[in-house]
Parts: sequence; structure tokens; C-alpha cells
Amino acid sequence: MELLSNLALGLQTAITPSNLLYCFAGVFLGTFVGVIPGVGPLAAISMLFPITFYLDPTAALIMLAGIYYGTTYGGSTASILLNIPGATSAAVTCLDGYPMAQQGRAGVALFMTTIASFVGGSFGIIVLSLFSPLIAEYALTFGPAEYFALMVLGLVAASTIANASPSKGLSMVVFGMLIATVGTDSQSGIGRFTFGSMSLLEGFGISAMAMGLFGVGEILSSVGATRNAKIDSDSAKLRNMLPTREDWGRSWMPGVRGSSIGAFFGALPGTGPSIAAFMAYAVEKRISKTPERFGQGALEGVVAPETANNAADQTAFIPTLTLGIPGSATMALMLGALMIHGIQPGPTLIVQQPSLFWGLVMSFWIGNLLLLILNLPLIGIWVRLLLIPYHYLYPAILIFLCIGAYSVRANPADVLVILGFGVLGYAMRLANLPAAPLLLGFVLGPLVEMQFRRAMVLARGDLTSLLERPIAGSVLVLSAIMLIWTIAGSIIRHRRQFSDAVNPTEVGG
Amino acid sequence: MKTLLLATIAATLSATVAFAQDKFPSGPVTIIVPYGTGGSTDLTARPLAIELEKIWGQPVVIVNKPGAGSMIGTTEMTQAEPDGQTLLINTAAITTAPAIQKDLQFDPETDVTPISLLITSPYVLVGGAKVESDDFSGFLEEAKGRSMFMGTAGPGSSSHFMSELVIEAADLPADVVHFSGGGEAQTNLMGGHADTYISTTASVMPYVNDGRVKALAVLAPERFELLPDVQSSGEAGVSGVDINGWVALFGPGGMDPALVEQISADFAEAMASDTMKEQLKQNYAVAGDLSPEEFKEIYLRDMKTWKDLAAKRGIGQ
Repeated sequence: MELLSNLALGLQTAITPSNLLYCFAGVFLGTFVGVIPGVGPLAAISMLFPITFYLDPTAALIMLAGIYYGTTYGGSTASILLNIPGATSAAVTCLDGYPMAQQGRAGVALFMTTIASFVGGSFGIIVLSLFSPLIAEYALTFGPAEYFALMVLGLVAASTIANASPSKGLSMVVFGMLIATVGTDSQSGIGRFTFGSMSLLEGFGISAMAMGLFGVGEILSSVGATRNAKIDSDSAKLRNMLPTREDWGRSWMPGVRGSSIGAFFGALPGTGPSIAAFMAYAVEKRISKTPERFGQGALEGVVAPETANNAADQTAFIPTLTLGIPGSATMALMLGALMIHGIQPGPTLIVQQPSLFWGLVMSFWIGNLLLLILNLPLIGIWVRLLLIPYHYLYPAILIFLCIGAYSVRANPADVLVILGFGVLGYAMRLANLPAAPLLLGFVLGPLVEMQFRRAMVLARGDLTSLLERPIAGSVLVLSAIMLIWTIAGSIIRHRRQFSDAVNPTEVGG
Repeated sequence: MKTLLLATIAATLSATVAFAQDKFPSGPVTIIVPYGTGGSTDLTARPLAIELEKIWGQPVVIVNKPGAGSMIGTTEMTQAEPDGQTLLINTAAITTAPAIQKDLQFDPETDVTPISLLITSPYVLVGGAKVESDDFSGFLEEAKGRSMFMGTAGPGSSSHFMSELVIEAADLPADVVHFSGGGEAQTNLMGGHADTYISTTASVMPYVNDGRVKALAVLAPERFELLPDVQSSGEAGVSGVDINGWVALFGPGGMDPALVEQISADFAEAMASDTMKEQLKQNYAVAGDLSPEEFKEIYLRDMKTWKDLAAKRGIGQ
């Protein structure tokens, strides 16, 4: 009953005309920021942050949050249509979204990502409103050892997300981890591979890297290529946009799993939507009976990461609001918006500022609903975007990519970084090397290293102590089993193929 | 005739110089914040800018230039003209970074003009879930039985240097473990993964007030007037750790002393506004009341302390 009265209070706050307006402004802007590759939520929210001085804190937060989760809605659009992620967390969506678009199913893919985003977002909100304090408490039990174990599991799962041979996937993961070693050493503070450049002390930015690898790489490889994808404007018609009964059936379970994975990773400070999306994709591919469909336009490969990143967006507010600890740079901005008004987020926030907390939660519902209504009709417009000749579209995207890279920390060096990774991305395409495992290695590598070294300091160098901790130990064992399974599986497959080749007649019998 | 002409030119020139200084600011003033939007330093700079616009009648623009432990923004400031139109608001990181960053593109002694100590507060040592004692004397005793883990906001951060200073001064059996930022360090305290964290009142008091971490000591010879219930390190018999945390204003090297005085006075006026007073109260901090010369001494002294400590304890080697 208390929950209902809280929700009613929240609704009261969220539905006032001015808050509704800020919510709409936020999600509307977020959608566009998401659709445009390069310009991410961090840049957009930073630019709008000064406005919050002049706004009521609830309104300010409603708007900034709207931009944040709105971006994730829009982020998949460019992934699907152009193979260029609009936001870093939508990079995985390229893997199956773009093949779907090439098969003329762009409308279906966009329709399903919108629904998936809504489902994931709603799931995240339910978790946020029901279990916030509980989850925050649970997240605290995760120390360096637990994070390390979890990230190892991620790495093992990651090596299989690309459709290339396991050796190619694995080597790209390692390559990503190596690139991530550039920057300040997490325990000694010494610059590694920075060659005296101050811009490299923080390492390469994740968004500059993703945008370079996927965005600039795609654009470079399109140069001189004849455009064969014939976009029939038919696919933008409502009839062709609607998923079939089979599509719905296929998406149901991936959506549930994606939401849960997303909600989990979102609530852990320091992980967030990108890792959540990767994990959800890896899980789907692994448990699928037909993993070979992934990368060829499998709808599950679009639905799972999209529910995951949206759920993660919502649960990321849990540590921010209930502990006062931001899990990411974007969340730190949200925290800042509260602090300028003298509101200190923490366990007492829900009690002391009920209208703010519940108003925010209810505004998330309204925002997600607005996004659903906003995005479905836009699909037709986005699909027609493909009718714009690439020689007009791509230069514009390049400029946005550069603006986006620069605006994150106003450092011109980041524009060079995006160019460098673009060239790398192009080279990798030529060599037929998958970019997604590289990105994942880049995201997880530093976390694995940093958390491992912290765990070792805290255990005074005792390696076995990792296994003695219940959560860390079981996750590590699980990772080991998965690794053995992967290796054994590929050896068996290899042998079978080998014996098939030697004795082709035996197979039939 | 010639002499007269020269004299006139000279007079005009010196008049223009004097005029230019009288007329500060002659246009929009840029304040570089070497941290991200929405961070604690940014949240100090932005309301200050609003107050300064009222005083100066000129736009005051906040530019966030994060990176390299505040050194990217600081470097950019040192490259500006020393006319007061480009200023920097930084924390004590400006004194710790030179101790470990070997590739600085400026000389922190000559290329930086310390202008004004804006906000100051002592460093507070907070203990996490695993720490049983409630004050510093008890903590020192506890550490004899169980070697402690001192969490920091990262290698080379002020929390790192202060932790090393405490280990050195109190002969504390402890290891330093680095986290990525104060938030993560304090989460690990709450979860009982690390034991202590040292930072300014502004960053630790919210969690102390929530009862999530406990304030063990104020690192000063005497108790701090705003936290009368917290033991001081001096009371526990530990000396040599009495360095204060601060947020301060800097300009490029070689600024005219008269201009420095004027800017310092204008900032003091802005700091006396109700908004800033309210912020200070929230953060358990006080406004600095030092002359630019006095602050310069502290700036140089702190920098030397960190440099010596880094050499002694092998920080950043």
C-alpha cells in the first residue's frame, strides 16, 4: 500500500505540466542525440548542465535523465541502418541489426528495438522502484575480487560473440586489452605508453574508440564501394515494419534475459549499459540452439542487447540515488545536478525527498512511454534516411563524429584518436577481423587488471583468497567451466569436421 | 620636440597600461575548471561565476578541461596572457601532480600565480565497515593488531599523499590501495573491502552523516570548529600531518601584483555572498582569508612537502 501511495505521489509530481514538458524535452533531445553517431549523452548532458542552476531540482533531473535514457533508445537506429553505432552501448546492436537492414528488415529491427527498449526500461524501473535499497546494499558486498571474477566471466563470454573463428575473436579481445593499457597505471600512477603526452594519460576514450572503429571504419570502407543495398521504400510501410508472430515468439525470452542482465550490470557501479549489452548478446548466442544465425540478422541479437542497455540505464540510478555514488561519468552529472540544489543523495533521500525520488521514478515511466510513442512513427523517417546518397550522408556523419569526440572533454587530441581508430577499423575490415571483441576487450581489460591488482593488494598477494570468497570463487569456477566447454567444443567440432573430410561416407550412415 | 613627442608617447602608453588595469576586466573572463562538469570543483566555480558577473559586469565563462589529474586544464591556463582574463580554479591536486608527473609542460613555481585561497577545510580520515574503533587513538591501537588498508582516490591524488603522510607520521602498519575516484573508494569502505579514506570535509561528510562511514580524525593539531566531535590527530599524539585541503584561484605566471590584489578582493566579495556561504556550510568548509603572498607560501610549501614525500616513499617511481 505504501508503494501505491508513493507511486501516486510520484505521479503527482511527474505529471505537472512543467515537469511533463521537461521530460518531453529530455527524451526528444535524447532521441536525436542517440540517432546522431558521435554525439553521446555525456556531451549533451554536460552542455545542458548549467541550465539546472535555474531549474527546480526535480525538473532538472527529469530532463537530464530523459536525455540519458532517450539516447539509448535512439542509439540503435544508426547501428541498424548504417552499421555505425549512435551510442557506445549500441555497438553490439550493429552485429545483427545491420544484417537485418540489408535483408530489407530494417523496419522490423527498428520496431523491435523500440519495443525492446521499452520493455527493458520498464523492467529497470520496476527494479528501481521496488528493490533500490536492497540492491544498493547487495552491490556493496562486491569488492575488487568479485568485480575481477565477474569481468573474467565477461571476457570468456566475449571471445565468442563475433562470428569469426574463435582464434580471431580471442586475439581481438587481447588486442583490445593491450590498447587499453595505454594511460595511467591504476596502482603506481605511472604513465604507460604515453610518450610524454598528457592527453594519453587518461588513456583512449571509449566513445572515441567505438566511433572510430565502427563509424569511421565503416565510412572508409564504403569509399569506392558500390552501394548495392537497394532500399525499397516499401520496408518503411507499417505492414512491413510489424514483426511476424514468429518474430515475437523468438524475442520473448531474450527480452526477459536481456532485461535481467541489464538490470544487474546497471546497478553495479563502474560497469554500465555497454557491458550489459555485450553480456546479454553473448548469453543469447551461447544458449541459442542456432548460434550460427547470430551475425546474420538474428532478431534475438538485436532484442537482447537493446533490452539490456535500457534496463541498465534505469538501474544505474540505484547506486546514484540511494548511496550517493555515481557509477559513471553521466551519473556523476546527475548527482551534480542534485548537489547544486543542496540535495545530498544517499539512503535518506527516499525518506527526505519522497516527491523527488518517486517523481523521478514516475517520470521514467512517462519518459519511456513518450519515447515509445515518439519512436514508432519516426521509424519510417529513419528508414528513408537511407535514401540519402552516402556521399551526402557520410561527410555529415564524419563531422558529427569529430564534434562528438571533441565535446566529451574539449580535447582536440580525441579527434586524432577517432581518426586513428578509424584507420585501424578499416584495416581490420580488410583483414576480416571482428571489431566487437576488440571493443569488449578494451572495456573489460582495464577493469580486469585494475580489480585484480586491487584484490591482490587487499589479499596481500594470496592468490587462493580469490577462490575462498563465495561470490568471486563461484563466478571464477563458472568461467573456468565455460572456457573448457568452449575449447573442448571447438576441438570436438574440429575433429568431427576432420573425420567428415576423411570419411565422408560414414556420416550418412 | 622629439623628446616631448617621446614623453607624450611614453605617458600615453603608461596611461593605457594603468587604464587597462583599472579597467579589469576588459572583456569576458574565462575560468578554467580542470575537472568535469558537475564535479565538486565545478559546483564551486559556477555559482561563483554568477556572483562575479554581478561584480564585474562582464560575462564569466566556465570552461571544463578535465584530464591528467587536472594538469590539462592547468597547462592551458599557464599558456594564457597574464592579464587576469583567464583564470583557473583548482584543488590541492595542483600541488600533488608536479610531484609525480614528470612531463609537465610548465614550471609550477614560475608559470603559475597563486591568487586566492577560496575554500579550505582540514582533511578527515574516515573508517569503513570493518574498522571497530570510533576515534583516531583507538584506530592506531587497532592497526597494531590488524594491518590496515588505506583506500585512495587514485595514485598521486591528495588522498594518496595524505595516506602516505599519515603512515609516515604515525608509523602506521598499513598498505595503500588505489581506487578510481573518491566515490569508489568510499563504496569499498562501506562494503568493508578497504579500511580508511582521507579527503576534505566536502567529499566525506555526506557519507559520515548517513552513518555509512565514520569520521575517525581531523588531520590537524586541534579539533576543527565545524566538527567539534571529531578527534584531531594532534590529540592522538600524531604530528606532521596538518596540511589542509583547499580550492583556490590561480592565474598565469607573471601577473601584476596590483591586478592580483584586485582579483583576490573581488573573489573575496563573491565568496561572501549568501549562495557561497550556504555552500560552505553544506560542505563543512570555511572561506580562505589569506593575502595572495600568504597563499603563495602555502602553495610552494605544500608542493615541496609532496615532492619530498614522493621521493622518500617512492611514489610514482
